[in-house]
Amino acid sequence: MTTTVCGRCKSSGAVTDYQGRQDGAVVWTILRCATCNFSWRDSEPARAIDPAARSADFAVDAGDLQRYPKILQQ
Amino acid sequence: MNDLPNRARSISSLRDFLELLEDSGQAITWSDPVMPEPGVRNIAVAASRDANGAPAIVFDNITGYPGKRLAVGVHGSWDNIALLLGRPKGTTIRELFFEIAGRWGDQEAQISYVPEAQAPVHECRLEQDINLYDILPVYRINEYDGGFYIGKASVASRDPLDPDNFGKQNVGIYRLQIQGPDSFTLMTIPAHDMGRQILAAEREKVPLKIAVMLGNHPGLAVFAATPIGYEESEYSYASAMMGAPIRLTKSGNGIDILADSEIVIEAELQLGERELEGPFGEFPGSYSGVRKAPIFKVTAVSHRRDPIFENIYIGRGWTEHDTLIGLHTSAPIYAQLRQSFPEVTAVNALYQHGLTGIISVKNRMAGFAKTVALRALSTPHGVMYLKNLIMVDADVDPFDLNQVMWALSTRTRADDVIVLPNMPAVPIDPSAVVPGKGHRLIIDATSYLPPDPVGEAHLVTPPTGDEIDALSKRIREMQLGALS
Ligand SMILES: [Zn+2]
Repeated sequence: MTTTVCGRCKSSGAVTDYQGRQDGAVVWTILRCATCNFSWRDSEPARAIDPAARSADFAVDAGDLQRYPKILQQ
Repeated sequence: MNDLPNRARSISSLRDFLELLEDSGQAITWSDPVMPEPGVRNIAVAASRDANGAPAIVFDNITGYPGKRLAVGVHGSWDNIALLLGRPKGTTIRELFFEIAGRWGDQEAQISYVPEAQAPVHECRLEQDINLYDILPVYRINEYDGGFYIGKASVASRDPLDPDNFGKQNVGIYRLQIQGPDSFTLMTIPAHDMGRQILAAEREKVPLKIAVMLGNHPGLAVFAATPIGYEESEYSYASAMMGAPIRLTKSGNGIDILADSEIVIEAELQLGERELEGPFGEFPGSYSGVRKAPIFKVTAVSHRRDPIFENIYIGRGWTEHDTLIGLHTSAPIYAQLRQSFPEVTAVNALYQHGLTGIISVKNRMAGFAKTVALRALSTPHGVMYLKNLIMVDADVDPFDLNQVMWALSTRTRADDVIVLPNMPAVPIDPSAVVPGKGHRLIIDATSYLPPDPVGEAHLVTPPTGDEIDALSKRIREMQLGALS
């Protein structure tokens, strides 16, 4: 079952960007987190997309998006 | 095949090159069903273990992408690079290096224009309801990448402040992260042409339009990846270095593009906007951080019928990235050094885009190699990238690491090592003190000369040269023949 909770920042409310089909049936869905922009395919291994199985080293803090630097400033 | 040089010069597209690779046993089609993750990555990584002989792999049965084709590893081995340069499989890296170094300033650019209506890249055109995921069979390149990346895009743009100037058009390779159906972020730094153009467009509030070319003439990625002078056209340069014509046409948004590319994505910078980008597994073998990067909105897509999406595996080496850019990273350093010091005999900057380089030099006097090393640090690439330099004598082949290790073992004193602290560094070098600042290391592994009191040892001189190289290749061929 497709979850819309982001594996990276744990926000909910991801949007569906595309569905892959094989012989007419949906075989996977690509989702995108509206908070941190993480994009994933729901068929990926759990360690990449499941918040419980993902390495904390790659988490994004949805409460502190200011900390991520902006490139190319005048 | 005696016509290899002519055949290489007749390549005008990715398709031509894949055909040449296939005829030479250097391209395979993967038709077993494969999941985008982790299947494509696993196969690409397994192939890149063989830096000398890995074939390009064309996938045509990726689950969920029926009818779509993906190519990886097109530049993924020295044999593939050799065929692109018109040389046979088995050509040594050293020979390939001198093939490229010898082409400098040798040829004229041959640029021709194809009317848009006749350009293969415009066979199919989409101007609305664009969904990049419906066109590109993307997959997560490394498992903690922040999204689906286009890793081998040649991005063409005009200078936003001088849009009619052909020479100021820029073509460069930048990583693109898809950000929803019709948007992508582009990662660059202010020093790169694209970074400069984005800053100029945002400062003057003028549009910046770009054309993202995918599945290109294989010479473009090799020769347009390394910075040249800002006012030189990358197309002209690539044509001259290939000794072959390049066909251009116009994109729908008015930019010169390759007429025979597989796919072109036309897009416009969203002035002043930034979106979260990354991480991305980069060439040092570590992930970049998460940053806010410029975002582009797709305005149209052109593609050939049944297009091939070409992508790259990049990450902890050895990978296709190393064979793609290694020689053309080394050759400019060689040419620039020889302007000051003709004693330089070869430069190997194959490792992590030149984070480690090995330079062979005829030592004019005691300590001379160190002077040459300091000059290397002031070449355009050296300023940021040449972090560790190993200097060897001209009798050591810097492309043969066994010989380099011999020089380190027998010709290096512990005080022949120089550390230059707190120098400029590539921001993504994970060993930096802080991103963008780090130390440089010079190891002088050359022999001792007067006035050094020790002097050179009495060396054993095993036979070397063309005859031995040819015998070595013949032994290998006999061995391969015995297998088949
Ligand atoms: Zn998120």
